[in-house]
Parts: sequence; structure tokens; C-alpha cells
Amino acid sequence: MAGASPLERIWPVIALWALLLVIVALAELFGGGILNRVVTDALVKVVVVVGLYIFVGNSGVMSFGSISFMAIGAYASVWQTCCPKLKPINMSGLPDFLRYNTFDLFPSAVSSVVFATILAAIIGFPIMRLSGIAASIATFAVLAIVNVVYGNWDRVTLGTNSVVGIPRYVDMWVALGCAAITIAAAYAYQCSRSGRSLRAARQDEVAAKAVGVNVPRERLIAWTISAAFIGLGGVLYAHNIGVITINNFYLDMTFITLAMLVIGGMKSLAGAVIGVVALATLQELLRQVELGFVVGGLSIKSPPGVQEVVIGIVMLLILVLRPGGLTGGREFSWPSPKRRPRS
Amino acid sequence: MTRGAARENPGPSTLAARAVSVRFEGLTAVDRISLELQRGEVLGLIGPNGAGKTTLVNVLTGFQVPSEGTIWVVDADSTGWQPHRFARAGVIRTFQNGRLFKEFTVRENLEVAAIGVGLSARKARTRAAEVLDWLGLTARADERTDALSYGDERRVGIARALAAMPRWVLLDEPAAGLNDVECDQLMRTVAAIPERFGCGVLLIEHNMRVVMTVCHRIQVIDFGKTIAAGPPAAIQSDPQVIRAYLGVREQRR
Repeated sequence: MAGASPLERIWPVIALWALLLVIVALAELFGGGILNRVVTDALVKVVVVVGLYIFVGNSGVMSFGSISFMAIGAYASVWQTCCPKLKPINMSGLPDFLRYNTFDLFPSAVSSVVFATILAAIIGFPIMRLSGIAASIATFAVLAIVNVVYGNWDRVTLGTNSVVGIPRYVDMWVALGCAAITIAAAYAYQCSRSGRSLRAARQDEVAAKAVGVNVPRERLIAWTISAAFIGLGGVLYAHNIGVITINNFYLDMTFITLAMLVIGGMKSLAGAVIGVVALATLQELLRQVELGFVVGGLSIKSPPGVQEVVIGIVMLLILVLRPGGLTGGREFSWPSPKRRPRS
Repeated sequence: MTRGAARENPGPSTLAARAVSVRFEGLTAVDRISLELQRGEVLGLIGPNGAGKTTLVNVLTGFQVPSEGTIWVVDADSTGWQPHRFARAGVIRTFQNGRLFKEFTVRENLEVAAIGVGLSARKARTRAAEVLDWLGLTARADERTDALSYGDERRVGIARALAAMPRWVLLDEPAAGLNDVECDQLMRTVAAIPERFGCGVLLIEHNMRVVMTVCHRIQVIDFGKTIAAGPPAAIQSDPQVIRAYLGVREQRR
């Protein structure tokens, strides 16, 4: 790294930007509405999974609770931007400034991300003192708590009912822009002093402490930055689909995003992005099969649930055969004959 | 840099354990040991396997809180500090089994150590380059540490500790597993550390011959107690040391 040119140093980011840009350009040129929607969904997942990677990839601590911040970000934005007619009646528990006002989309998105970030910092403060499996289980408890609170706080969240009529401003290009920012931020973090210290602690916590790394502190920093982008992912999700319920942000979402991270390779930023691209593609193919298609006059249709089963099997195969994920924990390095990443 | 300033102006310079005991469920690993390490000296800590040497290093670096007694970094009572705080105060250790960051290159191992104690990224790079150069490891700088030979691994362990700006560096059996030639080379390096980096060195060894040549002072422990302390010549001829240390070692084989 020391003697690398600036372009060489930021190459891992440029390469990922280029990859996503090519996908979006192809969808724009050749795709119809459906492909457009699939790509937008995937880009929102890129924001979430790269956000997740900022914590999980650098610290090595699995988080089963980060998707909570997606819910927190999504609902915070909905409260500010959605349903001026329904809010005063249905969401009577909201404070008056939210209940009777509707705010602009962009400032609402920003304040929602800030809200998720602050909550993450508070929640993370005790949890980040834990290590290994204890920390993971504690994050899982966070997921359960947020789900139960939001699922029962009827006068604020409509409970488990859907909130509909959310303004839909997130198209493919907005999602691409946010994904690009998230990727750049994740890379900046992992190259920062905090990111490098945390990656050292991931490899050997004892040795890291012995050279002065305050492990809980660095974990909390990563956790909080991670939650900011997952919160952003939640905002994008809500304003992409236009309808949310708290159960959108629970076990299914946790499973699929972690699967993407593991399959791509959770130790590298490239892994997080490749995992989303690979799994989103697989998911879409399987969805087509589930809907049924016709080959030579023969109608083929798979039973429902095949998606989850196949994804589960793929994840198992990756864990057994290629534990480092598709990228093996490497970044896209500057093209040189020696160290070309396989992906 | 700090190093130069440290040499010219040593100031208060003692890392000390005062009457420290460590007990694990009835087993007394360290029994009222006192130890002082000054900057600029090489103190040998010797004793047979299981004598309590590593436990004492754990105590001096915050990895083990003593059951009794206190640890002092200069004039601060640092008993109960977290390990990272000891490190930032300049108390840096190595590990018997290396514990290098395997996914990092040699250079990255050193840089992250310097970053860990608070240096900026740029200063960390300079510091790492200096230490690598001094130890003759520059050619290995961009290799991943899981690809190193055993001897290089040991040296990188020491290099990483030196990159972390130590005021006192605690080397836990740095020569373990090396052959005689490698061992002698390493000891010449260890002997030169105080002069070059302005820090004190605590050298843990169970090989008497090795410590005799490099240490200014030697403290001998056995069964968790100090049985002798003094300059090498005195230790070598101390009948208690010969009886307890060498004698016990023969029996234990």
C-alpha cells in the first residue's frame, strides 16, 4: 500500500462502482419494468449488506440484530413523510410535530439515518464489551426486542399492519447513488486507523490488546457506522416498495442479508457486493421457477419455498467448500499478474 | 521523535511489580514477587518451566489482575488497568507463540501496532519502516505473516512490539525453538534494543547460557518466588540458584 498510486489505492472501490454501473446500465438499456425493479431491490440490499459488512466483516462478530436499524430507519422516515391524512387518526401516539406535519423527503431521510445511528450507539455501548458468541446472541436479542416493540406499538407503527402509501422516490439511480456512497464509506472505514485496528483484533484479540487496541471502542465505532448505513437501507427500502410492515425487517431479512455476506465472503468489501449480486440473481431465477415457466409446451413450476431451500443449500456448500466465500476475503486489487482476485 | 527525546531525557523510568501474588483456585502461580525494570537496561527473568514467568508478564501487562500486590507504571498505580492501557503507557509484550496477525503482511502487523498505541497512519508507516530496517526485515515487509519461516516469525513478533513505541518491552521466550546460531543472533539484537529504542527490556528465558550474555541484571524465580537477583556473575555462582534452578531442571527431565 505504501508506494501505491492514488488510483491503485481506491481501485477496490472503483471496480465495485463499475460493476454496479454496468448492471444498472444493462437494466436500463435492455430491461423492462421487472428487471428494473429487481436491480433496484438488489442495490438497496447492497446498501444493507455493505452496511452489515462494516461491522461483521471488520470485527468478525456476527450480528443477527443489525436489521433492527433498517426498521428503525424505515419507520422514522415514514413518520416524517407518509400519509398526512391517516397519521392524525391512525398514529395517535406520534408526537404532535410528526403527527400533524409532513416533511421533505431528503431531510427526512437524513434525520432518520441520524436517529438509527444514535440508537445504535446507545444500544451498542453495553453489547460491544462482549466478545464472540455472547455478542452475537446479544445482537439477536436486540432484533427480537425491536420487533416486539414496533410490532405492538399500534398507535405509532400500526402494529404488524402494513403502512401503505409511502412516497416512492427510490428508483434504480437513487439506489445506485446510495450504494456507491456506502461502498466508498465502507472502504474508507476499513482503511482507517479504527478499521485496521479492528481487523487486527478480528484475527487475534489478545495480540491487538497488547499493542494498545481498545477493542470495545473500535467495535462500537464500526457498529455505529454500520447501523447508519443499514438505517439508510431501511429508508431506501420503504421508499422503494412504498409499503412496509415490521416483519419485513425480521428473520427473513436477517437471513438473506447474512447469507449474501457469507456467500460473497464476509472478510472483504468485494465479498459483500458480490454476495448481493450473486444471491439476488439466484433469487430472481428461483422466483421465476416458482412462478412457473413454459419450455417446449411443458409447463414447469416448482413448489413454493424452493427459494429458501436452495439458498440454504448454496450457503451450506459455500461454508463447507469455500469458507472464505466467493471472493475468499480478497478485494479487487489493481490488475497485476500476481494477485488477481477470483470472483 | 519520541525515541530520541527519550534517550536524551529519560525522566521517570520504572515499571514495577510490588509484592505481587497470583492464585488460581488454590494454586499459587506467583508468590509475592517484586520486580523493577528501568528503561535502558536488560533484565533477565529466568526460571524453569512453570516457575511463573509468563504469569508475571501477564500481570505486568494487564492480562492478569494480581490477587495481591500492585503494579506501577512510573508513579501511577496501574493495578487493574486494561491491557490496551498498559500498551498505551508504553508497556509492550510479545507472546511465546507469536500471535501475529496472520492475514496481514509483516509491514501491516507493525503499522497496526503503531496505530494501536495512537500514532497517525503516516507516523505508523515511518515507524514500521524504521523498525523493519533495523531488524533487517525490509525484504520480508510485504509477505503475509502466515508465509514466514519460524525464525522470521519470532523476529517479526519482536519487531511488532518495537513498532508500538515501547518504554518497556517484555519479551516472552523470544528464542524458544531457535537453533544456537539463530539464538545468538537474536540475543545480539535484544542486547542492542535499549541503546537503539531507549526502552527497558525484560527478557524471559529458561536457558541460563542465553541470558548471561545479554542481561545487565538477572532475577531468578522458581515455584512463583524470587530465589535470587543480581548481576549475571553473581547469579551464575549463587549456590541456591545452582541447586534450585539447575538441579530442579535436571530432575524434571
